[in-house]
Amino acid sequence: MTERANKDIRTEKVEVSFGNSRILKGISIEAGKKEFVGIIGPNGSGKSTLLKCIYRTLKPDCGAIYLNGEELSSLKTKESARRVAVVAQHNYYNFEFSVREVVMMGRSPHKRTLERDHARDYRIVEEALKTVGMERFTDRSFSTLSGGEQQRVILARALAQQTPCLILDEPTNHLDITHQLQLLRIVRNLEVTVISAIHDLNIAAAFCDRLYVMKDGEIAGCGTPREVLTTDFIREIYQVETEITEDSKGKLHILFLV
Amino acid sequence: MKKQSILKTSVFLVTLAALLGLLVFSVLASVTFGNADLSIREVYSVIVYELFHVERFAKFGEGAVHDVVWLIRLPRILLALAVGMGLSVCGVVMQAVVKNPLADPYVLGISSGASLGATLAILLGVGAFFGGNFVGIMAFLGALAASFAVIFLANLGGRANAGKLVLTGMAISSVCSAFSSFAIYLADSSDATAQVTYWTMGSLANTKWSEIQVILPVMIVGTLIFWSQFRNLNLMLLGDETSITLGTDLHRVRMFYMALSSIMVGFAVYAAGMIGFVGLIIPHVIRMFFGTDHKKMIPLCALAGAIFLIWADVACRSILKNSEIPVGILVSMIGAPCFIYLMIRRSYGFGGAK
Repeated sequence: MTERANKDIRTEKVEVSFGNSRILKGISIEAGKKEFVGIIGPNGSGKSTLLKCIYRTLKPDCGAIYLNGEELSSLKTKESARRVAVVAQHNYYNFEFSVREVVMMGRSPHKRTLERDHARDYRIVEEALKTVGMERFTDRSFSTLSGGEQQRVILARALAQQTPCLILDEPTNHLDITHQLQLLRIVRNLEVTVISAIHDLNIAAAFCDRLYVMKDGEIAGCGTPREVLTTDFIREIYQVETEITEDSKGKLHILFLV
Repeated sequence: MKKQSILKTSVFLVTLAALLGLLVFSVLASVTFGNADLSIREVYSVIVYELFHVERFAKFGEGAVHDVVWLIRLPRILLALAVGMGLSVCGVVMQAVVKNPLADPYVLGISSGASLGATLAILLGVGAFFGGNFVGIMAFLGALAASFAVIFLANLGGRANAGKLVLTGMAISSVCSAFSSFAIYLADSSDATAQVTYWTMGSLANTKWSEIQVILPVMIVGTLIFWSQFRNLNLMLLGDETSITLGTDLHRVRMFYMALSSIMVGFAVYAAGMIGFVGLIIPHVIRMFFGTDHKKMIPLCALAGAIFLIWADVACRSILKNSEIPVGILVSMIGAPCFIYLMIRRSYGFGGAK
C-alpha cells in the first residue's frame, strides 16, 4: 500500500459511459515519480477520455483517481491544478492574447481572487518561455504564431503552473516531425511525471519509459516499449503488418508494411 | 523585453489617469451645453453653491437657472456617465461569458424582455400601480425576467455553456418580441405604438436625483466587482475545459456574472431605455489598443463608455435646435461609422486571426 501511495498518478477501475456506449470499462493505470508513461491505441479506444478524467473535465461514472495518494474528487479544482498541468490537442481562442498573458494564466491556480501578479510570477513566466525556447515571442500576439509555436507556448503555460505531473493529450497531433520531436524532447528533460497519449508508435518507443495499450475502452497490454511493441501485438491491436528493427544505437524502430 | 512590459504597464496607468481626468472634464464641460442660454459663470456658480453651500453664491440656490443646471442638466449627465459605464462593462463581461466577440449587454434577451415589459405597460397599463415611471419599472422587470429565464433554461439538462446560452437568449428574444408585436397589433393604437417606438430609441432626459442615487452606485459597484474578477474573465475566454485544468471551475461564477450584469443592464434600461452599440463598440475599441487582458479592459471600458455617452448625449441636445435626437439613434449613427473606420485602419479582426 505504501508503494502505491508513492505513485504520482493512479487510476483505479475508472469507468465512463456516454449514453449506452461504455467508453472506459474499468481502467487502472499508474505513473511513478518522474516516469514518462505513454498511452497508445487506435482512434476511439478511450485514450483521451481517460486523460480527461485525470485532468477533471470529465467525471468518471465509477472508479477512483489518486494524485500522490489523495483522491482527486476530494481535492479542490485549484489544488488539482497545482498538481497536474495539461497540454491538450488544440487551443483556438476567439480573442487576442499576448504570449505573456497566455503563459501568465498558468499562474492562476496559485493565486487568490484579488492577488496581483508579482515579480516572481513574471520571472516564472519568463523562465517557462525560456525552457520552451519562446522567450523572443513574449510580446507577440498568440494567434499570430504557428501551430508548433502555439503548442510550445501552451507547454510554457503548463510549466508556469509548476506541477509535479504533466498530461499531454496528443499535443503533437498537428505538428510536423521537427516540432513533434522538439516538444517531446523539452518535456523529457523536465524531470516531471508525464502521462501522454501518443499516436505515433515510433515516437512512443523513443520517449516513453512505459506504455499502456488501450483498445475498446480496456487496457490490452502494458510494459516497456520493447515488451509491448511486437509484431504480433501490433497486428492484434491495429491490424497492420510491421517489421521491428533496431538501429546501430539499439533503438527500436517499427516499419509498417503497406 | 522586461522594459517593454514595464512600458506597457505605465502606458496603461497613464491612459487610466488621462481618461479619469477626461471624465471629470467631460462632466464639467457638458453641463454648459443645452437649449437654455446660460453663461458658463452661472452654471458653475450653481454647482459650487450646491456642493459647498458657499454664501456668496446663495442667489443661485433657487430660480430658473438653478433648476436647469441642478435639476435637469447635471442628473442627466450623471445618468449618461452611469449608463455608459455600465453598458460597456457589461458588454465586456457578456463577450467573455458567451465567449463571443459579437455579444453585447443585451445578448441574453434583455432588450426584448425590456421591450415587452415597456410595451405591456404603455399599451395595457400593466404595472400602473408602480407609480410615476411604471414603464421603466416594467422594462426593468421584463429585462430581469428574460435574462433569468435564459440562465435557468440554459442550465436545464446539463450545464449551460456559451453556445447554449446564446441560443437560449435568441429563443427568448424571439418569444418576447413576438408577444410585444402581438400586443401592439391587438391594441391598434397609433399613438401608443409611437410611444413604444420612441421608448425603444432610448433617452436620458427627465432623470431625477433620486434615480441617480441608486443607479450610479449600482454601476460603480458592479464595475468594481467585475474588475476584481479579471482573472476569471480572462480564463473564460480560454474555455471551460482549459479553465478547469488551470484550477477554476467557471460554471458558478458565470451564472453570477450574468445575474449581476442583468441587474446592471436592467437599471440602465429602466432609466434610459435601449441604447445599443455602446456595449459592443467600446469594448472593441479598447481591445484594439490595449489587448484582451481584463485587468486593463474593465476600468478602461468603464471610463471610455462613460465619456462616450456623455458626449453623445451632448450631441443629441445640440444638433437640432429646440429638439433632441434620441440618444440610441445618434450613438449608432456616429458610432458605427467610427467603428468601421477603426476596424479598417487597424486591420482589427475582432480578436481572431489578423
